[in-house]
Amino acid sequence: MNSLSKMPISALFAVIFSSVVTAHGGGSELMGGATNSAYLKECGACHLAYQPQFLPKRSWEKVMNTLDSHFGDSAALDDALKSEILGYLVKNSADASSSKISRKMLASLGTAETPLKISDTPYFKRKHREVRADVFKRKSIGSPANCTACHLSADKGDYDEHKVKIPRK
Amino acid sequence: MRIPSLFVAVCLVAATPGFGLAAGFNPEMTKYVQGLETQAKKQESSFKGFDAARGKKLFFDAQPNAKSGPLSCATCHTSDLKKSGKTLVGKVIPPLAPSANKSRLTNVKETEKWLLRNFKQVYGREGTAREKGDVLMFINAQ
Repeated sequence: MNSLSKMPISALFAVIFSSVVTAHGGGSELMGGATNSAYLKECGACHLAYQPQFLPKRSWEKVMNTLDSHFGDSAALDDALKSEILGYLVKNSADASSSKISRKMLASLGTAETPLKISDTPYFKRKHREVRADVFKRKSIGSPANCTACHLSADKGDYDEHKVKIPRK
Repeated sequence: MRIPSLFVAVCLVAATPGFGLAAGFNPEMTKYVQGLETQAKKQESSFKGFDAARGKKLFFDAQPNAKSGPLSCATCHTSDLKKSGKTLVGKVIPPLAPSANKSRLTNVKETEKWLLRNFKQVYGREGTAREKGDVLMFINAQ
């Protein structure tokens, strides 16, 4: 209580506000960044450590069991790291999450579909329908895998479309 | 006559194959490079030691790649190893040169992991012991 009474009013409001948002199960813009340190280090070395909430459990299992040829690249990991990371991904997968993005993602997928890429899901395609294919190929973007090119705080789970900045080149 | 143990230690180190080649590496990495050297000698009878110039060539030689187009180590790490690079999916890679990034080539597990992954990425196969040693010599001199 003592520490609360010393808090500036604005900070107190921030605490109250964030707890209200959390109570609503997290909006699409408040998913947060990935947290597991092995995942951030091993997977995040090459690409954004995509939030596990974006794909169902079955997708993460398939991704982690085919690392020797990971979209054509070698991303081999030793067994201990692999099972730690898979455990984290499964525990936080779309099936296990109550976030809005996860629910919409799962609803967009047939139960027989096991997408390996977030950008292959109907939900992703719908959300990016206004972005032309050649925009994704711009030099500073490269491909739809590079979320951070346009969603500057994607690593923190912020995909708010009002904050999108599409690079011109 | 009692021989000082330090003297014995110095003689042992000096007699170890490849002593001096791994200059600038920490003990863990020195041992790793010496292991590569032992392997290289077994695999190639003409092997006379690692060579940074050969390593440089391996680093810069672009290989055909169906997905990304011609690909070399320098594609992502750039031609100046003291500068940051960028992966094919746009993530920044901190400098590879130990002179610009002290954590480079200090951990055997990390080094082995990236040599394995990146040889497969660029050359489509694992590097030989000689190739790995050559590339390490080149990187370590940056």
